[in-house]
Amino acid sequence: MLGVKEMGKVNTVLGPVASEDLGITSLHEHIGFGLPGCDLDTQWWKKPDEAFEVTIAKLRRFREHGGKTFVDCTGIGNGRDLEYFQVLSRRTGVHIVAVTGFVAGDSALAYFREKSVEYLTDLFVQEVTVGIAGTSAKAGAIKVGVSRGGKLSELDKRIYRAAARAAVKTGAPIITHLTTDPNTAIEIFKAEGLSLNRVLMGHADVGQDVDEERDSLIANLGGYVGFDTIGYDLDMENPPYWGRYRKDRVDHFMRFLNKGFLDKAVIAADANCCALGWPGLKGHSVNYLFEEFLPDIRKAGVTEEQIEQLLVHTPATFLSLQDPR
Amino acid sequence: MLDNLKEKNMGVVRTVLGPVSTQDLGIVLINESLLSVYPGAELAPEINMDKSEIFDTLKRKLNKFRQQGGKTIVDASGMFHGRDVWLYQSLSKATGIHIIATTGLGPEKLLGGYFVTPQTNPPTPWPAEKFAGLFTKEVVEGVVVPRVERATAAGLVVSIASAEGITNEEKSLFRGSAITARDTGVAVSVQHGADAVADLDLLLAEGVATNRVIIGSIDRIGAVASKAAIEIASRGAYVAFDHIGWGSEDGYVSDIERVKLVVELLEAGLGERVLLSTSAVGVAKGHEAKDLAYDYLLSTFVPLLRKAGVTEKQIHTLLEENPQRVLTVDESAELEIKEFSPTAWKELFASVDH
Repeated sequence: MLGVKEMGKVNTVLGPVASEDLGITSLHEHIGFGLPGCDLDTQWWKKPDEAFEVTIAKLRRFREHGGKTFVDCTGIGNGRDLEYFQVLSRRTGVHIVAVTGFVAGDSALAYFREKSVEYLTDLFVQEVTVGIAGTSAKAGAIKVGVSRGGKLSELDKRIYRAAARAAVKTGAPIITHLTTDPNTAIEIFKAEGLSLNRVLMGHADVGQDVDEERDSLIANLGGYVGFDTIGYDLDMENPPYWGRYRKDRVDHFMRFLNKGFLDKAVIAADANCCALGWPGLKGHSVNYLFEEFLPDIRKAGVTEEQIEQLLVHTPATFLSLQDPR
Repeated sequence: MLDNLKEKNMGVVRTVLGPVSTQDLGIVLINESLLSVYPGAELAPEINMDKSEIFDTLKRKLNKFRQQGGKTIVDASGMFHGRDVWLYQSLSKATGIHIIATTGLGPEKLLGGYFVTPQTNPPTPWPAEKFAGLFTKEVVEGVVVPRVERATAAGLVVSIASAEGITNEEKSLFRGSAITARDTGVAVSVQHGADAVADLDLLLAEGVATNRVIIGSIDRIGAVASKAAIEIASRGAYVAFDHIGWGSEDGYVSDIERVKLVVELLEAGLGERVLLSTSAVGVAKGHEAKDLAYDYLLSTFVPLLRKAGVTEKQIHTLLEENPQRVLTVDESAELEIKEFSPTAWKELFASVDH
């Protein structure tokens, strides 16, 4: 009853798979993220053998928890490395879904920042339908986001509009970085004829951006609401400024479920397996979901069937490529 | 006069193949680009990054420059415009042309988010001291091949301002570049914003010696109108007429006017502070480049100078002595440049503590 069974196919870095094969899925993670330019600063250069080992270990543990699909939300130029993802997927058995698009306008490189909506649309369509960076690996979703400052910049709007057009054209879904300025985003999607049920509005659980009326507005329009920075807890040592007290996040999430939005809720950790251009959060990984968050929400009354909806059915429905229009 | 003699042509210059004696440089183009990639273009599906084609094109162009008598070229595009030091090493070996790689960044609109909107709250752009740290390492420890190694030393620090006026972030870039020049002994070269003299003051405020500074784009229409070249050269800094072959359609004065300006400087006794170059791009990816070859200066502009009465001795000063002098590393600088070692990479990588 809960699982919406419209199944189809999903692009992974090793080729398309049936959405029934996705299994337990985290929709917002990173193998490694860094802003453009960070590669020039040796401060962030990590021993490649150790980075590989740590990444493999985290993905293996994800498998041990029953995890099967890892959506890497690193956009173009932020450390997205298709061949590396392919090797990691082969070595661990975890499906890795790569995205096209940009984490936000201000994380895009200059060449793309100056492009038109038409160009960006073609770029995203190319990466979903032909391949990424000269490989045959196709993007499984389109990433967009809000630049620093909380409002969609002119460039963010161009990227959102192009993503909407590419989503309509290819049937791929959109994942957003941040949910601030939601009305601007919703208007763009609407104007481009994209149903909000093809959009995951992410990072609704970020500490300084909490707006529960906004969450309801999105869900009522059919959009997915991402509680997808789980584990960036202010209770931990050296949390990022956008962290959240663990209990506050759980309570926020439970209020959202209790409004009847179970099938519009997404949970993910947004963790880096090995961060590229920032410290990351020591000890944080996708596995926090299983080791800390699920016990918390079970304690709060969430059932196994509901957890299956959150981690299996919702991601499969969302990631299934729709018929192109 | 003894001071000038001492300053002249002694010591070494840092090329991509290591230190080279100053007097071996011959005729120098001090502000050009070899491979110029608009940041990010290498990731776009429509851009062909065939390295063999890029190599062939650059090799042909450099050989033509050499046939005209050229000997040294500075790839003045800094860290983030497609700089490929391994390619430059192979090209240098294949053509016999000395190639000097540069560190530095700019203009702001081409910077990556790592520098402009870092993951801090608020996203405070990088201050001058951090840029200085980044650039200084590229001189002292070697230019980065991202996440692989540090190759040989950068021979010059170059930063670029927006032509419509220097931004706050670019001021940090300039100041950082000046600190690097002061501490390492390589010269600093900038493409100035709207006010060349003010930009010189910005650099000098960091304590870099005036004769270690190059103010570029001095042949831009605005700079010529404000007579910036003569003021800057009088103060002892170098002025680079580095857009030879460019004209009013690009925002620069014509070659005819450029010749007049050079003659004026020579007549004012400031010939030792004048540099000539063309800002040509060997291979452009992701942007349109001016159609100009590396041999333009020698084949077209130098004859114009001769016609205007510039002597062979003066031409020698402009094309050889001046760039050689400014590119010579100041040995009295605080920091010592390390020689490249193929095993040094091991020290560049930190452990993963997750």
